[in-house]
Amino acid sequence: MAAFLRSRIVRDLGIALIVVFGVGSIAMLLAHVSPIDGFSALFDGAFGTTSEFAETLVSATALLFPALGIALAFRAGLFNIGAEGQLVLGGLAAGIAGVFVPGPPIVSIIVTLLAGAIAGGLWGGIAGFLKARFGANEVIATLMLNVIAALFATYIVDGPLHFATANEGETPLLAHTAWLPTIVPDTRLTISIVIALAVALALRFVFNRTIFGFELRAAGEAPQAARRAGIDLSRIALLAMTFSGAIAGLGGATLVTGVLHRFNTGLSPGYGFVAIAVALVGNLEPIWIALAAFAFGILQNGALSMQAEANVPRDIVNVIEGLVIIALAGRRYVASRRTT
Amino acid sequence: MSEPVLTLRGIRKRFGAVLAVDGVDLDLQAGEIHALVGENGAGKSTLAAIAFGAVTPDEGTVDAKAVVGLVHQHFQLVDRLNVWENVLLGREPRRGWRIDRVAARERVRALATEHGLDVDPDALVENLPIGVQQRVELLRELERSPGVLLLDEPTAALAPTEIASFFRTVTALAKAGTAVLIVTHKLQEVIDYSTRVTVMRAGRVVARYDTSATSTDEIARAMVGGDLPPLAERAAIMPAPRLTVRNLVAGSGGGELVDGTFDVRAGEIVGIAGVEGNGQSALADALAGVTAYTGTIELDGVTLASAVTPAARLAAGVRVIPQDRRNEALVLGWSVAENVALGRHQTAPLRRGVLLDDRAEATATQEVIERFDVRPPDPRALVDALSGGNQQKIVVGRALGAHPKLLVAYQPTRGIDVGAATLVQSRLIEARNAGVAVLLISFELDEIFALADRVLVMCGGRFVGAFDRANVDRGRVGALMAGAH
Repeated sequence: MAAFLRSRIVRDLGIALIVVFGVGSIAMLLAHVSPIDGFSALFDGAFGTTSEFAETLVSATALLFPALGIALAFRAGLFNIGAEGQLVLGGLAAGIAGVFVPGPPIVSIIVTLLAGAIAGGLWGGIAGFLKARFGANEVIATLMLNVIAALFATYIVDGPLHFATANEGETPLLAHTAWLPTIVPDTRLTISIVIALAVALALRFVFNRTIFGFELRAAGEAPQAARRAGIDLSRIALLAMTFSGAIAGLGGATLVTGVLHRFNTGLSPGYGFVAIAVALVGNLEPIWIALAAFAFGILQNGALSMQAEANVPRDIVNVIEGLVIIALAGRRYVASRRTT
Repeated sequence: MSEPVLTLRGIRKRFGAVLAVDGVDLDLQAGEIHALVGENGAGKSTLAAIAFGAVTPDEGTVDAKAVVGLVHQHFQLVDRLNVWENVLLGREPRRGWRIDRVAARERVRALATEHGLDVDPDALVENLPIGVQQRVELLRELERSPGVLLLDEPTAALAPTEIASFFRTVTALAKAGTAVLIVTHKLQEVIDYSTRVTVMRAGRVVARYDTSATSTDEIARAMVGGDLPPLAERAAIMPAPRLTVRNLVAGSGGGELVDGTFDVRAGEIVGIAGVEGNGQSALADALAGVTAYTGTIELDGVTLASAVTPAARLAAGVRVIPQDRRNEALVLGWSVAENVALGRHQTAPLRRGVLLDDRAEATATQEVIERFDVRPPDPRALVDALSGGNQQKIVVGRALGAHPKLLVAYQPTRGIDVGAATLVQSRLIEARNAGVAVLLISFELDEIFALADRVLVMCGGRFVGAFDRANVDRGRVGALMAGAH
C-alpha cells in the first residue's frame, strides 16, 4: 500500500488534483467568483442529472480513442500529434460509408466503423512510412497532415461529394442502420464507450502479452538495444503509426455514428490535441488513460455549466488543462534529469 | 610518518536499507598513491564522495588539511563547452565584467604544460576522445591546486597507452607532494603504481597492505573474502571450422576495419588483442549485422547475407555481447525477465504464436539468475537498479542461454568487479568447451591471455599477428598492437 501511494501515477494524480483545485480556485477568485460556487457548478454540470452524466461519458469517450492511439505511438517512442487529423478523416470516411452502406444494422455499423479505422490508419501510416523510409520527423509530418486532413475533408464534403440534401460542411444523415445503439435512452451515450474500453483492454493485452507489444516497447525505450535484438525499427514505426491512426480514426467514426449521425467539418473541437494530455496524465497505461479521459470529460463538460451558472469563463478549464500538462511534463523532465 | 593530510574516522553512511560504508578509518599521507579496491558495491565510491565532501556521512569525521579534488568515474564535463571553459568553469579570470579569454587560455595552457598533459585549450569537449576528456577533468581539479586528489576509477574507459601516460602524470603529482587516492578494479595497476592498498568489502575495511609486500592474488582474496573460484578447465578443441571471415571491410570515419581475414573453430576462443579504435567495433558490428560491409562471413560453411539485418544473424546462431552495455544491450527501465527475453523473443519457446510465453520467459530468466548468480535473484527487479556486474551477467547469460554457434564478446568484463568477471570468464570457457566458437575482443591483455586458445593482434584495421596459446609472446603482442612490424 505504501509503495502504491509512492508510485509515480499516484503522485502524478496528486499533482493534477492540486493544480486543478489550487489554480482553479485562484483563477475563480480573480474572476470574483467563490471557488466553492464555481466547482460545485462544475461538478453539478458533470454529474447533476442522468443526461449530464451521460454527456460527461460522451466527452470522455471522444477523448479516450485518440488518447489510446497516441499512447500506442508514444510507447513506440513516436510522438503522434496528428490524432486530430486521423480522427477527422476517420469521421469523414464513416460519414460517407454510412450513407452508402445500408443493410442490417450489425453489418452497416461494422462497415462504417471499419471505414473510419482504415482511413485513420492510412493517414497515420503516411507519417509512419515517411519515418521508416526517410527518417522524417513524425512530429512535423503529423502536424502538417492535420492541416491537410482538415482542408481535404472540407473539400470533399463541399466539392466532389456534396449532397443536395446536406448543408455546407456536412454529409447527409446516415442511414439509421448505421447509428450506434444508445446505452441510456434519450441520451447520446452509445455503445461507443464499450468499444473504447474494449480497445483499452486490448491495448493493455497487446503491450503486456504479445510479441508485437514487446518489440514496440523495446523500440520505444531503448532503440539501439532493440535493433541489436533483431527488432526492425522501421517496421515498428510504420505499424505503430498505422495502428495509432486507426484507433484515432475509429474514434472519429464513433462520433459520426454515435453522436452527430453525420460527418461535419466541425466534428472535433480539438479532441486529438487534448488527448495528448490525457495519454500523458494516464502515464501511457491504457487503464489509467481511461480514468484520465473520464477526469478530462468532467472538466470539459462541467465547464459549460460553470460558465452558465457561476459566471466563470469556461476558458479557465483550458488554462487548468494546460497547467496540468506543464506540471506533469515538468515533473517528468526533472525526474529524467535526476536519473541520468 | 608525518601527519596525514586527510583523515577519516569512523565513517558510516546508510542509503535506505543499504549500509554503504560501515565504520571506516582512512589516512592519506602527502606524496603517497593510495589504492582503494573492492568489488562493486563495496562502498569505495561512496567513501571517496564523503572524503571529497559531496556526501555527508551519518557518523564520523572528515579532517582535510588541504584542498581536496575529485575526478569522477563518469566525467562531469559540459560537452558543448571547450576545454578552457570547462577547466575554469566558475573561476574564469575576469577583466571588468567580461571573461578574460586570453588570460584564461594561457592559464590552462600553462597548467597543461606544467603537468605534461597534452590538451588543446580551444578544442570542444564533445569532440575529444575519452582519454583526452579525462585530462580535462584532471586539469579542472589540478587548477585548484589540491593537496589531496581522489580518482574514482580513472582508467576504466582508457586504452592501455592512455593509461600509461595517465599514471606518469599521477606519479609526478605524488612526487611533488600530493596525496593521491585511486579507486580501481584493476589490481595490476594497484601493484604497478600505488604505495599502499586499502581493501573494502561490504562497507568495511578488510585489509591494508604496503604494496611492495603484497600481490594481486592476496588483494583479490581479500576483496572476495576467500579464494577466487578457479577459471573453468578447458577441454580439447574440436577441429571443425565454424566462422570463416574473408576480406572483411567495414566501418568509416575512424576505427575502420580495413581487411579482416580469419577463422574461428567450434570449441575455440579466439582473442583479438589491440588498442581500442583499431577496427574492433567495426568487426563486431559487421558480425552482428548492424553495419554494412564487403567481404564474406561464413558460418558452418554457409555464407551469411550481407544485408544489415540483425534478426537474420540471431536466427543463424550469432550472439554478440555489445560494447555499450547500457545502451546497446539492455532496456534499463525493464525487469530482469524482460531483458532476458529480449533478442530471444522471436523463437520458441519464448515465442508462442503472436504471444510472449510468460512461463518460458520465467524459466529462461531463472536459468540465467542461477547460472550467473545474479543479485538480487529477483526476475522482476529493474535492470537499472542492478550493479554493472550483475547487468553484464544478464547480457552474457541471455546470449549463452540462446545456445549460439558463434559468440562475439566485446569487452565482456569491462568495468565489473573481479568476482563477476571471473564468473563471466568461466562461463565463456564452458561455452567454448560445449562447442561454441567464441570471438573475444578485449583491451585487457591479461584477459586475452587467460582465455584465448589463439591470439590475433589488430592494428590500424588489419590483422597484424597471430599466436597459439602455447607460444604467445606477450612483448611481441604489445609491440604489434602499438604498430611495430
